[in-house]
Amino acid sequence: MTWGRLRLAAGAAALVLLVGCSGSGAQDPELSPPARSQDHPANGVDAARGFRSARGYRATPVPVRVDIPRIGVSSALIELGRDADGAVEVPEPFGVAGWYAPGTRPGDPGSAVILGHVDSKRGPAVFYRLRELRRGDEVRVGRADGSVLRFVVERTEQFDKQRFPTDDVYYPTLTPELRLVTCGGLFDHSIGHDRSNIIVFAALRT
Amino acid sequence: MRFRTGPVALATVVLAATVGCSTSPAGSSSPPASPPAAGHHATKLAAATAAAPTSLGQRRAQFEQLLGLHALLAVRLMRAVVAAAPDFVPVASASLQDNTDGLSRLVTDAYGGAQADRFGQLWQRHVTDLLSYARGVAGQDAAAKQTARAALLADAEAYGSWLAGASNGRVRASAAAAGVRMHVQELMTQADVYAARDYATAYRIERQAYEHMFTAGAGLAKASVTPELAVGLDAPPERLRSAFAMLLGEHMELVIAAQRATFAGAPEFQAAAAQVNANTTALTRAMGAIVGPRKAVEFQSAWAQHVEGLMAYTAAVAGNDEAAKATARQNLDAFAARLALYFSDIVRKELPIQPLTRAITAHDRHLTDHVDAYAAKRYDQALRMEREGYLQMLGVANTLVGAIQKTVKPQLPVGGSQTGGGGSAHHRRR
Repeated sequence: MTWGRLRLAAGAAALVLLVGCSGSGAQDPELSPPARSQDHPANGVDAARGFRSARGYRATPVPVRVDIPRIGVSSALIELGRDADGAVEVPEPFGVAGWYAPGTRPGDPGSAVILGHVDSKRGPAVFYRLRELRRGDEVRVGRADGSVLRFVVERTEQFDKQRFPTDDVYYPTLTPELRLVTCGGLFDHSIGHDRSNIIVFAALRT
Repeated sequence: MRFRTGPVALATVVLAATVGCSTSPAGSSSPPASPPAAGHHATKLAAATAAAPTSLGQRRAQFEQLLGLHALLAVRLMRAVVAAAPDFVPVASASLQDNTDGLSRLVTDAYGGAQADRFGQLWQRHVTDLLSYARGVAGQDAAAKQTARAALLADAEAYGSWLAGASNGRVRASAAAAGVRMHVQELMTQADVYAARDYATAYRIERQAYEHMFTAGAGLAKASVTPELAVGLDAPPERLRSAFAMLLGEHMELVIAAQRATFAGAPEFQAAAAQVNANTTALTRAMGAIVGPRKAVEFQSAWAQHVEGLMAYTAAVAGNDEAAKATARQNLDAFAARLALYFSDIVRKELPIQPLTRAITAHDRHLTDHVDAYAAKRYDQALRMEREGYLQMLGVANTLVGAIQKTVKPQLPVGGSQTGGGGSAHHRRR
């Protein structure tokens, strides 16, 4: 290690000297400290005796709808889980979005995930225009208690489904965020599915 | 339960927090305190802290934790100067110096010896100027404060220039300087409001300053590597580890702050205690993100008993009430047993109750020994106890995230979503 111990030691000595000077400030008129409450230690004891820890944690309300003015989306939300094969369920009605209920609730720490179809065999579905979202666009999530959360889009990306960024979408974190997911890219007629997913990354507006 | 394996992670927190982990920052070269329950661990910890980081993830973690600790130590040293606590000041300054040494070792590892020398000079000056500001506050000397403020802002600019150069331009000087400006502004403001007896604001800013330094630590680590490697340092598992390290370290430090504030009177204690509760709320929400709402409620209840038991013991120590101390110890033991039962239950008996109970009891002992030492004005011992407990927290977060990786990830949805309904959108887009 190349760190100069000698110079540090000298620095430490200077620091202690400096602090030592201030530590003796009670005798130095220039350093007369402001009075503080230390003359009532008994009150501190009483306060500590009366301490009560935070309780009353309440679960965050579940989301019930999503509105994205920029692309004309206004949808109720249904609950989604996982299929038997481990894949995320998708909404049954093409015109309705869903949220991944085993994961994070919008507003809680972590990434809440809302999914919607891009289309059906008959035409556009609820997230048909999701790819148009850009940084700064707003996504509103209404909750069961009537409150509305506002998320701001940070970026929109397309991923091949074979390289789906599972951690970036579902992995628990402690930052309240939102992911919007739909399909995109080329349609593979041999399997009857799009090859890619469009993912919108959004952060809670504070 | 949101993720069925969350309880394993919770239990791991308790185990790791109380019996210690082998992964510790390189931030301490002093021998830690050696209370009866922690002596062996203290020896292992001292050895571990002398080791260089072995991974980029550890580098980020260590920068975060040492910079967070820097903010706390600086705050408390400045307050000791403001409040004219001559016995505490030299010990606190030595602890801050130890922290600076640890940071310099990390910079050596990340940026090389020459850059570490420059960093050490800058950081030493930063600390010295913070002290000058505190002296100005203590002396109600507006001119001295102004001079120190100007010096601190100049330090911030110098730091920005240093990091821009050390990182080969990966970080803009203005951005790095802005972070340090916010840091010094927070520290100056907390000193001002503390002197004005606005303790609620002072303790709130202290907590903010600590949390902001985690961001600075992550930035310092990421700037030391290529952008490609930096992306990996910001992956979700790293972010989760970082967040839990911050919250658990904060818990430890805020309890200690409240213990010390007990001796300063009710207004200061209540301000410190409010931040303890804010941390408990944040920690509960964090746990809820992993184990779901129902288990989060159970966690908060158990955690509340833990914190209240520690405060009851603190009150007994401050009140010189030996009978109350004995009662508080008995209660803490009972809470530990109950916590152990709870944790063992939620991991479906995968972790036996007895080792859990011993681990939680050892954790309590760590904090009760701290307040014993502080009350007896054995400040060097109190600060060593503080540092040892704080350093454990990085290992706690690592262990926690490790458990999550092993157990939660397999339960995440597999692959992408089949949210295309037939290709009509594709035809329309072509």
